Amino acid sequence: MTISLSPDTQALLLLTAPLIAGRTDTSSELLTAGEYQRLARFLIQIDRQPGDLLSPGREFSNDLKTIIDADRFARLVNRGFQLAQAVERWQARAIWLAGQTDEEYPKRLKQRLKESSPPIIYGCGDRAIIETGGLAVVGSRDVDSWLVDYTVAIGRETARAKRTLVSGGARGIDQAAMRGALEAGGNATGVLADSLERAALNREHRNLLMESKLALISPYDPSAGFNIGHAMQRNKLIYALADAALVVNSDYEKGGTWAGAVEQLDKLHFVPVYVRTEGETGQGLEALRRKGALPWPNPATPEAFVEALTVRTNGSGESSRSQQLSLLET
Amino acid sequence: MIYDPSRALQLLSLSCGVANAAFRKGQQEAIQHIVEGHTRLLVVQKTGWGKSLVYFIATRLLREAGHGPALLISPLLALMRNQIAAAERMGVHAVTINSDNQEDWTNLETRIGLNEVDIILISPERLANERFRSKVLAGIASRISLLVIDEAHCISDWGHDFRPHYRLLERIARTLPGNLRLLATTATANNRVMDDLRLVLGPGLEASRGDLNRPSLTLQTIRLPDQAERLAWLAEKVPVLAGNGIIYTLTVRDANQVANWLKSCGINVESYTGETGYRRPELEQALLNNRVKALVATTALGMGFDKPDLAFVIHYQSPGSVVAYYQQVGRAGRALDSAYGILLSGEEDTEITDYFIESAFPTREDVKVVLEAIERVSAGLSVQELMARVNLSRGRIQTTIDLVSLESPAPIAKLGTKWQLTAAKLSEDFWQRAERLTELRRVEQRQMQEYVSLKSGHMDFLIRALDGNPSDTHTGELPLLSTATDAALVHKAVDFLRRTSLPFEPRKQWPTGGMPLYGLRGRIPAERQAQTGRVLSVWGDAGWGRLVREGKYRDFRFSDDLVRACESLVRKWNPQPRLTWITCVPSLRHPDLVPDFAERLATLLGLPFRPVLRKTDDRPEQKSMANSTQQARNIDGSLTIDQRPLPSGSVLLIDDMVDSRWTMTVAAWLLRKHGSGDVFPLALALTGQM
Repeated sequence: MTISLSPDTQALLLLTAPLIAGRTDTSSELLTAGEYQRLARFLIQIDRQPGDLLSPGREFSNDLKTIIDADRFARLVNRGFQLAQAVERWQARAIWLAGQTDEEYPKRLKQRLKESSPPIIYGCGDRAIIETGGLAVVGSRDVDSWLVDYTVAIGRETARAKRTLVSGGARGIDQAAMRGALEAGGNATGVLADSLERAALNREHRNLLMESKLALISPYDPSAGFNIGHAMQRNKLIYALADAALVVNSDYEKGGTWAGAVEQLDKLHFVPVYVRTEGETGQGLEALRRKGALPWPNPATPEAFVEALTVRTNGSGESSRSQQLSLLET
Repeated sequence: MIYDPSRALQLLSLSCGVANAAFRKGQQEAIQHIVEGHTRLLVVQKTGWGKSLVYFIATRLLREAGHGPALLISPLLALMRNQIAAAERMGVHAVTINSDNQEDWTNLETRIGLNEVDIILISPERLANERFRSKVLAGIASRISLLVIDEAHCISDWGHDFRPHYRLLERIARTLPGNLRLLATTATANNRVMDDLRLVLGPGLEASRGDLNRPSLTLQTIRLPDQAERLAWLAEKVPVLAGNGIIYTLTVRDANQVANWLKSCGINVESYTGETGYRRPELEQALLNNRVKALVATTALGMGFDKPDLAFVIHYQSPGSVVAYYQQVGRAGRALDSAYGILLSGEEDTEITDYFIESAFPTREDVKVVLEAIERVSAGLSVQELMARVNLSRGRIQTTIDLVSLESPAPIAKLGTKWQLTAAKLSEDFWQRAERLTELRRVEQRQMQEYVSLKSGHMDFLIRALDGNPSDTHTGELPLLSTATDAALVHKAVDFLRRTSLPFEPRKQWPTGGMPLYGLRGRIPAERQAQTGRVLSVWGDAGWGRLVREGKYRDFRFSDDLVRACESLVRKWNPQPRLTWITCVPSLRHPDLVPDFAERLATLLGLPFRPVLRKTDDRPEQKSMANSTQQARNIDGSLTIDQRPLPSGSVLLIDDMVDSRWTMTVAAWLLRKHGSGDVFPLALALTGQM
């Protein structure tokens, strides 16, 4: 099986992806998110697709120079061999990829993130899981054993309600939630900020990936290492893929969990955001509640759990979210 | 980019060293096509047409216009020395990067980094090598302006020349964006292969195809079943043929044997195989300058070797396919009015080509045991570690790993030095393809047998087999050679085949993990090692090998001829210090076979025979152990010394078969430990694969 890449996806990879095959030094030249968005708008304006940028023999249009310097553009799109090599490597390791214009691109990301959705999504495992929504669980890396047990139980309940658990795959809360769901026979989506290739070859993941229980995705090159900026950016993808989110714990006014939740409550409103209500909740969760986060209802049955995920309007923060939702219907 | 025809012509003149050089038909068009870069190009032209000229000139033109370097992928780098020299003449700096020049990699990397290199030549195997990818290729992958895929027929499953690593290249080619220039070249592509290439390289692929006829060749096929007859025929005919040529054999062993025979007849030849190593350029040059009458070669002397005045190509054995044969014979007579292409065929041809066909793919069982072994160890396993865990030869393990890991998705991938399972199963397609290819190889083998039986119309047959147009075939006009052999020469050849004795070196190191029952590991001290030994024949060979096989499995007694052969071998060998006694390796399964032989030999040599070694434990036969580590474990703790003290002089240690040498190693260690002098091993036949 060889996935053939569309010319559009080839162009997106060449312009925005580091295509890590060994070491690489072109990353600094890649289009930034802002540049990429301007390029996309420009292409829509002139009624072109990204793939048209690669048509053999076509000279680079003058108009594009306002977005990207011609030499830099040439250096990026001339990475064709590197592209083919990197894609081959991923495919051999059962890693797939989808470009923004591809049919297989995760629909929720496109709908919710619109033009700020990542140009490329890399993944491993059954793509269908990613389209099933479910409960996003977020929280810190360093947590005590009570919180780990609590989070494992949430994962288990998610599985019992036959819903997918979405999380970031990091140490601490993320892994506890996924473990709970998977051990109870449920499905999970891990949205990784780094090292997808390593995670895909991890023995613990292997059977789960092969049995369509687990899907791992990332907007970053499968060989890319940890990067704090990536970890923050990835948060909005976790929310975007779910039906509702539960913040298990959070620092106050700092850290990735806080920033990601506040971004949802103040600005993006992708999904209802819950905060934990059992046990010691702390300053962070209290503050999120004041910003409009809902108290997790601790559903006692699978039916109640499903209901919690389908909540539509509830309280002050909701009016703006409804507006946002209606905008997205278009 | 705009093509400059006058500059292209200038470069051509520079490369040939002639003022008013002119392009051959199709060359200029191909260069223009590549440089302008509108669509991909496939050039199908016979060897010698000048494909390398096309890509070197195109590279130079691209470089002059400020483009990045070209990357050429070819299985035949070692043979491109002539072409590289021609490239340098027109100022194209070409470098080869391969496993033999790792010490230069840093230097080459620097040169590439400084943009001093115009074209980089690598093998498809390099492309799969992790270290090469990250150390060397990563530095240039982002700037490559032209990709040249040499021997592109290997991409097709239907190509005669299946090379597993072209699977990787195929996938890379499929993913290349349209703005990268691509040239694929091959000498032979039938319609099926052309269709496959269109599928992989894109529907817009332009093809430039030349004709297949080789009007200067006189083709002939001669069936001589017995090796001695063929050796005699060669000894008679090679010296009287005009000019210089190549004699092809199917195996390295045959190449060495034929070369030694012809040398012993006073004919100036050398053998040239994959094992020739650093002497390869020197030998190629010797043939180019007519300093040897012929090279006796395996396909290691292959495509890319260009000697326009090569006067003959003789095959000692018949290759497995018509396409392979056409390519090899097509090296003769490129710039001559007439040349010979003679195919001898013998009784062992089918057995050898069968072996190549059958060992090309792993069996389902091979794949199962390898994957299961990896699955049991969560950190993964290296090939070395696999050898200790599965009863498969190193070669089988390597083939299995290579082929399975080149699938996409692959069930295994390399992380560091170890093979690890991925989240993918081996697709059923793999087996379907293996079956289809094996069947195709069988069809090719039958087609080749048809060729062998032809009385006339040889060139027509070849062209038709390659989907060419045979209507205007011209054939050479040399007289056919006599198929008779000289009886005296045949007799001499039989003697020659029986005279060969092969040395074998002692093992100096216990296996990975040691010999736990004997409590041994690490280096074997020099005073506990065997001396260099001798083996009379190769299992089943045309000399003594057949008699050994009959003795072991038909008569259960080794013949007196074999005893006499060994006597003369030992007398000629005359190991020092002088032998004072003889012993042998014991067996519970055949308790008398080897001792009976050793005793008769001892009588002829006038030495005492003392069977002091005893087998304490009945183990499976060594030949059922598939790799050396398994064989070492199988012998561990199973031998002991019965009678003490041992004579203190040198001893001749006899066994019938030798393969991994572990039995001889353990026996010698025991003998030395209990006070014997130097131990000189002697075996009747060397087993194991060619």
